[in-house]
Amino acid sequence: MASECPRPLDGSSAAQQRFLTLFLRSEREIFRYVAAMVPNVTEAEDIVQETALALWEKFDSYDPSQPFTPWACRFALNKTRQWIERRRRWQKLLENGLAEELLHRRQELQPEFDARLRHLETCLKKLPASHRSLIEAYYYERTDMASLAERSGKTVAALYKMLQRIRQALQGCVERQAHQEVA
Amino acid sequence: MKVIYPSPEFDDMVAAVCHGSATDAEMEALNELLRKDPRAMDEYLWRLELHSRLASDADLFTQSAPQTADYSIPEKSAPAAPDNIVSIGSTPWTPRKAWLTTLALAASLALLAIGIARIWQRPNAPQTGVTSTAVAMLARSVDADWAHAPVREGSALEPGWLRLKSGLAQIIFYSGARVVIEGPAELQLISQSEAACPAGRLLAEVPPPAQGFRLKAGPLDVVDLGTSFGVAATPARTEVHVFAGKVELIADGAWKQSLNENQAAILEGGVISRLEEANPLAFASLFEFQQRSRTSMTLRYEQWQLANAKLNQDPSLIVHLEFQDLDPATWTLRNSAEHNRSVPTATIVGCQRAEGRWPEKHALEFHTVNDRVRMMVPDEFESLTLSLWVCVKGLDRQFNSLVMCDGFEPGTVHWLIRHDGVLGLTVFGPRTGTLQISASPPVLTLDKLGTWLHLVAVVDGQDRQVVQYVNGEPVGRETLKIPPPYRLGPTELGNWNAKSSPLPGPELVRNLSGSVDEFELFNRALNDAEVRELYLKGRPD
Repeated sequence: MASECPRPLDGSSAAQQRFLTLFLRSEREIFRYVAAMVPNVTEAEDIVQETALALWEKFDSYDPSQPFTPWACRFALNKTRQWIERRRRWQKLLENGLAEELLHRRQELQPEFDARLRHLETCLKKLPASHRSLIEAYYYERTDMASLAERSGKTVAALYKMLQRIRQALQGCVERQAHQEVA
Repeated sequence: MKVIYPSPEFDDMVAAVCHGSATDAEMEALNELLRKDPRAMDEYLWRLELHSRLASDADLFTQSAPQTADYSIPEKSAPAAPDNIVSIGSTPWTPRKAWLTTLALAASLALLAIGIARIWQRPNAPQTGVTSTAVAMLARSVDADWAHAPVREGSALEPGWLRLKSGLAQIIFYSGARVVIEGPAELQLISQSEAACPAGRLLAEVPPPAQGFRLKAGPLDVVDLGTSFGVAATPARTEVHVFAGKVELIADGAWKQSLNENQAAILEGGVISRLEEANPLAFASLFEFQQRSRTSMTLRYEQWQLANAKLNQDPSLIVHLEFQDLDPATWTLRNSAEHNRSVPTATIVGCQRAEGRWPEKHALEFHTVNDRVRMMVPDEFESLTLSLWVCVKGLDRQFNSLVMCDGFEPGTVHWLIRHDGVLGLTVFGPRTGTLQISASPPVLTLDKLGTWLHLVAVVDGQDRQVVQYVNGEPVGRETLKIPPPYRLGPTELGNWNAKSSPLPGPELVRNLSGSVDEFELFNRALNDAEVRELYLKGRPD
């Protein structure tokens, strides 16, 4: 065998490179696909990571003439199903075919969502600095809410309530912007 | 537990699901609501989408965060008390790179587990789903004379034979291997990483991802180990020259021979008659191919410019957008029809600059739901002809716009490609609600995606017919029941302004995915010969 593979490591690292390039390009989309079923950020991220491993394992069955993301999402769906099977709470949310319904409807609504979310950056900039900081701490820096609560002297519940209200404000903002665009 | 939509309880539950704090009972209640109430389902998905976008799109937070910040409570909440002002101290700026590192590590561990041999001998992926069985594409050709129907640049190639009588052609396999053949040559495409060349001269360049590319030449299997090599084959004799890297020669499984850089093997009667130094000069024409290809493209481009200079004098030409002078300051396209000034310019909204039919030719790429070219055409027409050069990337929408008049106004037209590849031209009648749809057979097949196509629609008010053409050939002819006059008014290329609906639903989103690099509007019906001529003027090769 050795004579047939004189440079196995070069070959493998090239495949690895290619995989990483494709995966990283699709990572966000895979994450959002998973999050439509399991919206909790940390859990969705864990599922995506499990998906990444499965994808790499099966990367030699990937046909490069086909788009990567739909191929990857099939794996993500399997991994999510396995995740849900092990967790009663998510079963309660997604049982009776709701998971499939959500994915189907989400695909139909995608163009509209994309059109609205083009304004997300603008709307984020319009937020008062304090609100923007909290959104950044939670979504980008992934600051632990418990430790933030401790430092701020607020309860975790209060911080989550603030996040909910800021999201509501963002939602209203992008909807208004998108509406103005078509009107 | 029950929940209705809209309600504050619903809001709280969705937030709790996002934050991972929802109870079993809440999950159950939400499940029941979402399955019953489609409005709640849509709103739920929309909130999740915003949430997951914030969590996944780091670009949204490109500006560095302040080192300290106060968190005052947003509106609708209790009045701010002094203890709402908090400092989070000097939180370090930590974009999430950990994930990537973990992945890379996991990938290399998995690599050991799977075994190197399997990665090395990457099997050809099975084709899945509704896809083309193509394995390669014809990238470019120069003076190519084919023994079969001509193969256009950019065409997808399915397994089978290419027979080139003379000239040069470059084939890019989906595995990444690039092969140039010089006629007379015969090349059999077997898979995306395998081909056979029983006769002819060939130069293969195989980048690392395509290593393992296998070429059958005469009695030999040439297995590439990441190289550039040349093959000259006749029925009696086969030469293999290695210019970079290394290849392995396998003869009917009988013997194996490695061939290193700058080595050449000459085979006669199935055995190596001698080894000598590789001779790049013998493949000079193939090496020069890129350069010659470019020259030939330039020539075609100049011919097109020349033909347009004449065409622009045609008094029946109302609008001619050549997409050449894209003014980045004003985002307009100039109408170069000399005798008609009713439409001075068209306006570009969104769109990306892209390469057109030739390297020097500009194009606009339509991709997002905002991308469009808008123009106002005030004239009324007894007949009209629309002509468009388009490179369709994918049929993503139910309806993919080509030329679309705003709304559904009397006498206007909608010209589009349906998701199944059918070309459709709708003419709206004088009374609201009357319309006639002329549909071609499904002409935009998968192999045509990614290639430049000439599409024409003729609305002939005199002979009362609608004719559509692809690359100069009629693909559909139908009697036209709706009488003239016809008009365009406010019109878009590559998109559609529905007007009637304040918020576009998915079925009203009709943006094109692809590039456009020329548009013509005539105030008369061009006949078959004229359409053919128009195609020949603009064909890429």
